[in-house]
This record gives sequence, structure tokens and C-alpha cells, in this order.
Amino acid sequence: MDKINGRAIFIVLVAGIAFFAASCVWAAMPEFHGFAEFAYVPKGSDDNTKRDDFNLLEQRLQLKTKYLFDGNSFLAQKNSSLNFKGDFTVDEYFSGKTDFELREFNLSTTPYDWLDLKAGRQILTWGTGDYLFVNDLFPKDYVSFFIGRDDEYLKKPSDALKMSFYPSWTNVDFVVSKFEPNTIPEGDRLSFFDSFQGGIAGRNSDRDLLEPPLQPSNLEYALRTYRNLGSHELAFYYFRGFDKNPTSYKDEAARQLFYPRLDVYGTSLRGPTLGGIGNVEFGYYNSREDSGGNNRLIANSLFKVLTGYEKDLGNDLKIGLQYLYEQTLDYGNYKANLLPTDFVFDESRHLLTQRITKLYKNQTVAVSLFNFYSPSNKDGYVRPTVSYNITDQWKATLGANLLWGEDDLTEFGQMKQNKNVFVRLRYSF
Amino acid sequence: MKMVKLLGIVLFIGLFVIQPMSFAQDSPKPEEIIAKSRLAFYYAADDMKAKISMELIDKDGRKRIREMTMLRKDDQDGEQQKYFIYFHQPADVKDMTFMVYKYPDKDADRWLFIPAIDLVKRIAANDKFSSFVGSDFTYEDVSGRNPNEDTHTFLRKDKLDGKDCFVVESTPKQPSEYAKRVSWIDTANFLPLKEEFYDKQNELYRRFEVGETKEVDGIPTITKRVVKNLKSGHRTEVSFTEIKYNLGIEDDIFSERYLRRLPVQWIK
Repeated sequence: MDKINGRAIFIVLVAGIAFFAASCVWAAMPEFHGFAEFAYVPKGSDDNTKRDDFNLLEQRLQLKTKYLFDGNSFLAQKNSSLNFKGDFTVDEYFSGKTDFELREFNLSTTPYDWLDLKAGRQILTWGTGDYLFVNDLFPKDYVSFFIGRDDEYLKKPSDALKMSFYPSWTNVDFVVSKFEPNTIPEGDRLSFFDSFQGGIAGRNSDRDLLEPPLQPSNLEYALRTYRNLGSHELAFYYFRGFDKNPTSYKDEAARQLFYPRLDVYGTSLRGPTLGGIGNVEFGYYNSREDSGGNNRLIANSLFKVLTGYEKDLGNDLKIGLQYLYEQTLDYGNYKANLLPTDFVFDESRHLLTQRITKLYKNQTVAVSLFNFYSPSNKDGYVRPTVSYNITDQWKATLGANLLWGEDDLTEFGQMKQNKNVFVRLRYSF
Repeated sequence: MKMVKLLGIVLFIGLFVIQPMSFAQDSPKPEEIIAKSRLAFYYAADDMKAKISMELIDKDGRKRIREMTMLRKDDQDGEQQKYFIYFHQPADVKDMTFMVYKYPDKDADRWLFIPAIDLVKRIAANDKFSSFVGSDFTYEDVSGRNPNEDTHTFLRKDKLDGKDCFVVESTPKQPSEYAKRVSWIDTANFLPLKEEFYDKQNELYRRFEVGETKEVDGIPTITKRVVKNLKSGHRTEVSFTEIKYNLGIEDDIFSERYLRRLPVQWIK
């Protein structure tokens, strides 16, 4: 019954939007683009999440439009536009729950030759990694990623003001944003390692995640300055805000976790290397509330180094390799302050990734294999996908999320009961 | 007297008319023809804007559309070039932008901006023969090939749709996707009117043909072209419209700034 209600609402919504879109076109309003998508993600293992047989059963309608200011107005003269992108969903996982996600709604303008502004809800990305992030501290939705939604949904929107400065010798992006946490498994849809439950948990997890309250002192700042050096791109990064994951404990008895204050300093270099594209990125994470590493409840500082290489082997075959090293700093202090009952996390982590993509049939069929493997954590994640652009409008995607690990508390190992297969059918317009 | 006059005329014709003609026919420098052709086709004017529409048609007649606006700017004829491409169609790539810095003697630099995830991706570009957006055009077809990479031989003069052409055979010095290319180049404006590509078995597998040529701002311009893969039966028909030359496109348009933020003064 719930499902039928959900579908009915969806159909009404679609019809309403179609009518709205049509009337907008009639009124010479900006045109709408987007897609309608159906996604089904059955899963293999039975865990303690809300549903045993699937991770996702969802219909989605994405609409986007852009309004370019014209005429003689101030905004028109400053090359301004209003950008909108929103997703309507009917989620059968939660019994046909309808939802609307505003992904973008911002004003973009160029007040001066050397300044661009983008204010409002927007997707923000920088850095050089492929599915791995060192200096990109903008919010991510890992749940969407692991339950088989399109890659687009790994990036979560931010409510932000982005200022881009272009003096002659460099480019500077400066972002002020409201804190937005990563969306991470919480047990209802994906099982994960919950230290309060002492192992992999599903609906039995009852953690309380405390977000920093919205106030001026809790705004986040992200800075990037970059320029080209010949064919290479050099960038420096600075971030001042909060850890996007609830890595630290506020009150153990109340099962409260929080997002500790974090500063990140980093740099990256990317460019032609050995007949391909090479990149290296470094980030130093300063855990401001526990910079000495003596507080067992708060995550320590750490550093991350990422190197990558991508090469085109010809005949529409590409390979990409990455190596990420993470080291917890002040590990001695961390260990010295642990209680006997605490779980012990390793000092360092090595992670290797490999991507192979091959295109067939005039690039209408893409076969790809992305593989994460950590020899230190003894865990990994295999993500094969095949997609087919049946026509310019219709696209079918088939893939799988195969997570494995020897231990329950490692990044991928804790997700091992969430193996699934995803099928998506999309109509773009 | 008459005989002397006649002899004089004959001698005159022989010396100054026939000989230069036969000279032109026997040994026009093929390297020069190819170099001039490259400039006429890939380096026309100092910059250019055009709307490009590609129809990708498979052997069963199924069509796919790629529609884009291209900006091109040359540093100098025959030297470095910058390209900026905005995709209008199909819907799943709409609003993506693509930028290329092309160098005559090394791999191009390529960037792709994917607006849905705000990502500027660097594209590995060492394979010049991979297909451009799934069409029958390779990246090299789109941005040109350095004439020094081939050995050129003048084959003959020919007529194509009433136009006089030089026919030149080009053989790659290094192993390449093709073993031999034969080009028909318009003697009047050096535009390549037809090109045929042969594989290692000396079989013809790919053919370019010009469908329409126009004068735009006084510059002879190919506005319609077809490339056909003779082995798969797949073909791509491309047409250039809204062509404009020498617009004074600023150099800084070709930067990450405008990849992320469309230069609305040039592309709406």
C-alpha cells in the first residue's frame, strides 16, 4: 500500500513537473534538462539492516535549469546566472518515501574581471584523487556510493560562498561554508563497525552524532591557490573546519560522537608523466582539539600522501593506479592513553587502487573495474561496472559493490555484509 | 621572317609556358602541399568560433547526435593551439566543457570539466588515435598531425567534383594507426577534399569526404564533412555552422576558470 502511494505521488509529481516545465517553456522561461532514473540494488548477505533483500529501490527525477540574466541590469552586465538542480525521489527502501533534494541553487556572477562569485547551494570539488580525497574536505555521501547510486551522488552539496580571485600570477578559490557532515553508514541501510556495539552493527546501532551548532564560529573555510607550470598544475590547499566524519567521542555513556575541529594543510602537483598523467598530493591533518594526541576520545592528527598515474593504452583502454599512505601522528601518546577495553586502530594504512576502463562499440559501452586493496588493513573493495548508452537518451548501468576484509573494524572490512549488485536505467533529456 | 617569329613564339612557349607547367606537374613538393593544407584546414585565421554538429550513424542507420560549440585560438600558424569545447548535446553530457592545449611536437594537454561533480579532470592524451566523443574522428583528425611525422610522395594531379587537386601519399615514419594515407588537396586553396586511410594489409578502411565548402569572412572553409569507417560501416557526418573568424578571443578564456564557468560572452 505504501509502495502504491509512493508511486502514485511520484507519478503526480512527474506529471505536475512536466506540466510546470511545459508551461515554463510556453512562457519562454529557461529550458529544463535532467533525467528520470530507476535503480534497483539487491544485496547478497543478510545483516541487521532494515531490509534483507535490497539496498536500494528508487525512482528519481532530476531537473536542472539555468537562468542567464539579460538586458541592461547590473547582474546581466556581470555575466550572472541563477543555477538550479533538484532531485525528486521515491525511495521504496523506506516504504515509498518521497523526497526532494536541492543539489544546486546558486547565483553565479563576475563583479570584476579578476573575481568570480558563486553564492548558494553548490557542489564543490578539488584535488587530484580518483575516489580518494586528501585536500577535498567538502561533504560526501558514502551511503549513496555504497548502495549503488550514480557517482554524482558521492558529492554532497554545500551551502557556501565561493570567491575565485584571478590575479595575474595565480588563481585563488576561497570558500566559506556551513558545516555539512559526510553521510556515512548508520545501520539502517548499511551495516558498519560500531564501537559501542563492539562489532558490526545494523539497526541495533543507537549512536548519537552531534553536529556543531550553526553559528559564525562554526563556519568552515577552504582555500586553494593553483597555477600551471608548463603542462603541470601546482596547487596549495588550506582548510579550517571540522572533521566530516564523527571520529571522536563526546560522551561514551550516552553514545555520543562528534565532529572534532580540524585544520588541513596540503599541496598537489599533476601533469604529464611517463606518457600518462601523474599526480601527487599531500595533506597534513591537524586535529585541533587533540593536537598532542593524548586524548583517547579525540582523533589524532595525521598525514596523507597520495600518488597516482593514469595512462591511455590506445583502443579506448585506460588504466589508473593510485597509492595512498596515511599515518596517525603521536601514535605513542594515543596508545599510552587507551583503556584496556578500547579497540586499537593501526598507526598507518596503505591503500592501493586500480582502475581499468575499456570502451566498446563507438564508446557506447563502457566496461570498468575499480579495485581498492589495503595490504595493511587486509581489506578491499571491488567495483565492476558495465554501462551501455542504448541511445542518446537511454542508458543502462550494471555494477556491483563487493566489499571484503579480514577484520570488522577496518574501512572496507566493516562493510563486508553490504555486498550488492546495482542496476540503473536512466532516461536523459 | 615569319619562320623566325613562329620559332620565337614556339621557343617562348616552350621556355616560359610549357616548362614551368611541366615543372609544376612533375615535382611539386609534397611536403609543402601537406604543410600548406594543414595551415589552411587547422590554422585558418588567428581564432575561430563555430557550432559543430555531428551525426554518428551506425551501419543500421541508428543516429546519435553530438552538438558542441568550439573556440580555437592559434599562438602562431603551425604552432601551439588552444581549443575550448562546450557540449550542448546529448543531454547526459550537456554543460560539460573540454579544453585542449595542442603542441606541434609533444602530447597535447587535455582537461574535461564535469559540472555535476564540479570536477576538472586531466585526460591522458598520448593516444592520438582514440575516437573523439565516440565518432569516427580521432583526436588527431580533430586537431591535426605534424607533417614531419610522415614521408610524403606526390602521386598525381586529379579532378574532384570539378576541382583540381594534388594527390599526395603520406607514410608514417613511426608505426601508426594507418600504414598509408592518400590526400586529395584542392590546388586553389589547399583544403583537403578527400582522404583515404589504408591499414597494414593495404586495405582501405577509412575515408573522409567533403560535402560542402564555403567562403567565410573571405576564408575558404569546409562546412560539411563525412568520415566513414569502411570496415564497420559506421560513419560520422559533421557540419560547421555559425562560423566566425578573427574574433579576438582572449587567451585567458582557455583556462580552468572558464572550464568551470562558461564564458558567456562567447558561448551562451
